[in-house]
Amino acid sequence: MSPTRRAFLWSTVLVAAGMVVVRAATPFRFALTPVFLDNDAAVLSALRTALAYGIANEVELVQRRTYQEITGALLDGSVDAAWTCGYPFLQHRESLTILGAPVWRGQPRYQSYLIAAADDPATDLAGLAGGIHAFSDPDSNSGFLVTASDLGRMGQTPETFFARTIFTYGHRNVVRAVAGGLARSGSVDGYVWETLAEAEPALTARTRVVARSEWLGFPPFVARTDRLSEPGIAACRDTLLSLRQHSAGREALRLLRLDRVEPAEPGLYDGIAARMAEMGRLR
Amino acid sequence: MRVGWFQNLSVSVRVPLVVAGLMVALGLVASQGVLAVLGNLQDARLREITRLHVEGLSVALGPFVPRQDVWEVYDVLDRAQQAGDGQRLLLTVVADGQGRVLAATDPHRAPVGSNIAPFLLEAAAPGDVRMTGDPVLRVAAPLMYQGRDVGRIVTELDVADLLAERRRVAYWLLFGNAAATALLGLAGWLVVARLLRPVGVLVQAMGGETGVPHAIPESRMPRGDPGLMRLFSTYNAMAAAAEARAEAERRLAARERFVSLGRLSSSLAHEINNPLGGLMNAADTILSYPDRPEVVRQSAGLIQRGLAHLRDVSRAILDQNRLDRTDQPLRPEDFEDLRLLFGPEAAARGQTLEWRTLADAEALGHHPAAPVRQVVLNLLLNAGGAAGQSGHVALEVCSDAQGLHLQVCDSGPGMAADDLARLMTSGPLPPGGGVGLRLVHDLVERLGGSIRHDRTPDRTVISVSLPAGRGADA
Repeated sequence: MSPTRRAFLWSTVLVAAGMVVVRAATPFRFALTPVFLDNDAAVLSALRTALAYGIANEVELVQRRTYQEITGALLDGSVDAAWTCGYPFLQHRESLTILGAPVWRGQPRYQSYLIAAADDPATDLAGLAGGIHAFSDPDSNSGFLVTASDLGRMGQTPETFFARTIFTYGHRNVVRAVAGGLARSGSVDGYVWETLAEAEPALTARTRVVARSEWLGFPPFVARTDRLSEPGIAACRDTLLSLRQHSAGREALRLLRLDRVEPAEPGLYDGIAARMAEMGRLR
Repeated sequence: MRVGWFQNLSVSVRVPLVVAGLMVALGLVASQGVLAVLGNLQDARLREITRLHVEGLSVALGPFVPRQDVWEVYDVLDRAQQAGDGQRLLLTVVADGQGRVLAATDPHRAPVGSNIAPFLLEAAAPGDVRMTGDPVLRVAAPLMYQGRDVGRIVTELDVADLLAERRRVAYWLLFGNAAATALLGLAGWLVVARLLRPVGVLVQAMGGETGVPHAIPESRMPRGDPGLMRLFSTYNAMAAAAEARAEAERRLAARERFVSLGRLSSSLAHEINNPLGGLMNAADTILSYPDRPEVVRQSAGLIQRGLAHLRDVSRAILDQNRLDRTDQPLRPEDFEDLRLLFGPEAAARGQTLEWRTLADAEALGHHPAAPVRQVVLNLLLNAGGAAGQSGHVALEVCSDAQGLHLQVCDSGPGMAADDLARLMTSGPLPPGGGVGLRLVHDLVERLGGSIRHDRTPDRTVISVSLPAGRGADA
């Protein structure tokens, strides 16, 4: 081996080693959306601990206000993986891949709830016409798409059906807006409402579920398809799918009121896709 | 007057009462001052709370109000309500530049999109807010963002706790001051009452129930206080002098009855001597002509008439001086007696005596005989003396529903000032002169009557009115 070739090999090894060191020093950035109770510090701490257990690296939980910001960060590589909603996943289906889907109450599905104040006489969506309605996020399935598409089926849009709509950028905020009387009705994630009913019963007691949607695919964990081969992403997927196998994972699942995370196919979100298609046709 | 009862209290009671009253007034003024300071502190605290609240909200809401971000405005208000002094902030309403409500802590009261105008009514600026007695105060302020007025904030403050604190302090002040005032008032009372005890003794000695000053007994003399001791000794000396003088006046008055008769003695002696001469002549005639029955009978008749006159004169003198007649009712005969006593005096001076008694026996019977006789006799003697030789003296007695009226006139030159003072006033007796007119004054006063003096160019008229209904035992 010539000195020049040896020097090249050594330099290559050193650079590679340096890259590994740099790589190891960069935390794994996991993005969260208001899909769950992101205001609970204990939940955040448990989730970070559980992810760090399997990824063997520092985990940074990234919180943004909207799905759009999270999706943008995921697509531009600012974050490595995200727990997002089925609706934005389907919007960028060609770029994103499901790492796993949470199982809640025995199945990887949830419902969208249409809620109103506890003493509101409305019995269905039609009865809520003319009031102020609180949505969670324009890119949320349960917090927007379901109600918007239901209105579409009625030949209405949120702007024509309701006196005013507001976006609260959080399912918990939707419950707060309705419970506090700011809005007459709201579209909320059924999983979040049920979890709140256990954690903050005084809050949900001031609301009432007027209507429930069909069962739809639970908000998935996703990553960019072209980065699936990266060790961190793979470790993240393995960690999510094996949360029940270590105490930190079980604690995170307990706090999140989830059974486990299981592999999922895009077909799980066909119901959401159908509603998207309906909305697309209306446009 | 209403304060009469207070003035009737003794000095030793009045002064401590005034001291206690002043302490109560002082307590009230002090309490009012404390409450005013508390009110100012509470107002300042309220203004500070309001200012911080409005400024804090302006900073937090500034970016959201121009964007009409209903949720963010509500979120800020809701979280502000939960935190800090949220219990004081009953309601906060935020409106945009057009006065439309963006959000409120209680959207039921101020729905999104409604007009904020009703909430601006009776709302004060943060710098002007103050306690008004209303448990809920409303404050309105412009919402400033980047130097622009972008909306309005209205806040309702619950100040019931501050009002309750004020009430509590007022009650405690009232209770504390009442207790302190009562304690100090009692202490002041005791101290001042002790200090004024000698004055009370003096006041009691000076007037008492009888109105007659009397000496302070030796046992009640303030031996520990030389100044007061001197005062008491001086008072005792004055009281003794006054007592001696009163005693002298009493004796003079008692003697006056004899004095008045004494003044009549020469005329009365003449009145007795005249019939005595006739009687002696009649006796001589009987002795000279015992065998002439018609002469004896005529002389005996003369003797009988003379003796009857003497009997009347002596009875009048006795009646004037008999002490056991003091309670007898006045009769017409009493005026006949007076005429009998005074008539010779007037005759001796060649005076004409006009005598009119118009009051009947029943009207006279309501008045006591002795003092009225003394009054009339003294006035007649005074009038007779003033009228002089060949003068005119008149007495008129009449009665009506008001009582008995006696009027004595004379044609004299009028009463001297000293005599008038004796008759009309209760002041010290002027030196010299008798006490007859003063006796008239005292008797009439004791009978509840009044005296009037009138002077015409040629007549002096003394009118005495005695009220009916005093009875003979007055």
